[in-house]
Amino acid sequence: MSAETKVLDSWVLAEFATPDALVDATRQMREKGYQGMDTYSPYPLHGGSEALGLPPSRVPFIALGGALTGIVTALAFQTYMNTIDYPLNIGGRPTFSLPAWVPITFELAVLLTAFGIFFGLLGLSRLPQPYHPVFESEEFRSASTHGYWLSVPTAETTVKPDDIKNQLTSLGATHVTVVTGEKE
Amino acid sequence: MKVMERFTGGRGPMLAAAAVGAVGLGVTAVGFAVDTRRALFGYLFAFAYWAGIAVASLLLLGAWHASRARWPVVLRRMLETMAATLPLFALLFLPILVGASHLYPWLGEPPPLSEKDLKKLEHKRAWLNQPFWVVRSVLYFAVWSGVGEFLLRWSRRQDDTGELKLTQWQWWLGAGALPLVGLAMSFASLDWLMSLEPLFVSTVYGLYWFSGAFVGALAMLTLATTLARGPNLYGELVNDSHRASLGKFLFAFSVFWAYMAFSQFFLIWIANLPHEVPWYVLRAKGAWEPVALFIVNARFLLPFFVLLSRPFKEHRRTLAVTAGWLLLAHVVDTWWLVVPVVSPEGPRVHWADVSAFLGVGGAAVAFTLWRLRGHATVPVGDPYLRESLRYGG
Repeated sequence: MSAETKVLDSWVLAEFATPDALVDATRQMREKGYQGMDTYSPYPLHGGSEALGLPPSRVPFIALGGALTGIVTALAFQTYMNTIDYPLNIGGRPTFSLPAWVPITFELAVLLTAFGIFFGLLGLSRLPQPYHPVFESEEFRSASTHGYWLSVPTAETTVKPDDIKNQLTSLGATHVTVVTGEKE
Repeated sequence: MKVMERFTGGRGPMLAAAAVGAVGLGVTAVGFAVDTRRALFGYLFAFAYWAGIAVASLLLLGAWHASRARWPVVLRRMLETMAATLPLFALLFLPILVGASHLYPWLGEPPPLSEKDLKKLEHKRAWLNQPFWVVRSVLYFAVWSGVGEFLLRWSRRQDDTGELKLTQWQWWLGAGALPLVGLAMSFASLDWLMSLEPLFVSTVYGLYWFSGAFVGALAMLTLATTLARGPNLYGELVNDSHRASLGKFLFAFSVFWAYMAFSQFFLIWIANLPHEVPWYVLRAKGAWEPVALFIVNARFLLPFFVLLSRPFKEHRRTLAVTAGWLLLAHVVDTWWLVVPVVSPEGPRVHWADVSAFLGVGGAAVAFTLWRLRGHATVPVGDPYLRESLRYGG
């Protein structure tokens, strides 16, 4: 695909003065039927996920998968190495001694759970994402220091960007802007 | 906003608990006369269960003060009252003090041991002798009762005066006394429980008893919070987030208990030394094995999976049932620590076990309710109470 034929997406960005105003506006915009919205704040936003109507996180299941993988791998490895491949008599204990397997099993379960959470969250958040058109907006930089922002994609709605801007302003947005560009 | 008056209810439950306590202790007294040694072991088990929960309550309270915890302020009066039962336990310690020679082989008649083992026992005489043991026990109760009394009284005084300096005092005493209270609990576990088998050595023992009792204290607080619903009771002010946090505590310390239990077992199993292994051979091989397996599953595996889920932790009934289950599992665990010494042939419940458990427990619950009555059930003068009521986390 050549650069000329790439579809350009655009987003309406709105800044709010307080986290409560942002959560409130997000909820009202969602009730109006807008989809694919996202909130941006310098710290975790209380009630933000609920306002966006996000489904329950899938991270716990990835974590569980990591834990189970760790447990099964550790038990299988230790049993294969100590009981089957290279059995040694250590102090007369049986070559299959489960208590001795526990520390490694626990550690590997913890390690893979942590990996699952870390990389699972990165993957689900589509990170790392080196470029996004919202970075073009100079004002949007306040999202990492003191601003509370909402983005509304225009691609998934028939409402004109100007009308979206007006709706956001009437919901109390202190600053509204439109960015256009290509996601990747 | 609801107005909290002084709590005047709870008369019925208090009298019922007192009646259960009186009957239980009376029946146990008969046990002392009929089957002295066995009844004393039953009593020691009951005492270790309830007193352990009281001391662990004091440690939790101290930890909250040390961390300037704001969210649990609404739960704190109940915990303070639970911790302030320790003077009662000093009184309830008397049967153990009087009957010590029937319980501890290092007292009274020389036990039927080999000459070598008797020599080892003799070597421990500097620590394990009656006068020093009595002095230490008195010291433990002095520390626990003193700290518990001050924390409760200052908190109550703040109800009326609202003095901010009292918050400061509680922070200082609660945090400052933690090492002393914790060490006293650890040493008490060696003196009262581990020395039942005086040749056994385990450095994890104190932590094992503490971790179990800490889960017990948290479960007791959770259950009390669920039940404390009615006029002027703090349970009315508790929200989903408070419950979820109590559930997280229960989860964390169930895991901590498992870590301690496994650490002790693993080190002894892998070292395989003759003075350590008999303790586990008695408790985890043969007739007592099912009890040991039950404890691991009931205290760790089951609550682990139940308490993972946030909706379960928030749900009042589910959390209450889990807390009740953990209290029951702690009963079996404490019983498994004490009773195998007197009943090596297998897990047989003696009627004195039951009567002592109900007797000491009834007395403790009645005493707690008695101290709770006539005062507000939340620290109404605490500057962080508002923040605690708004807690969402």
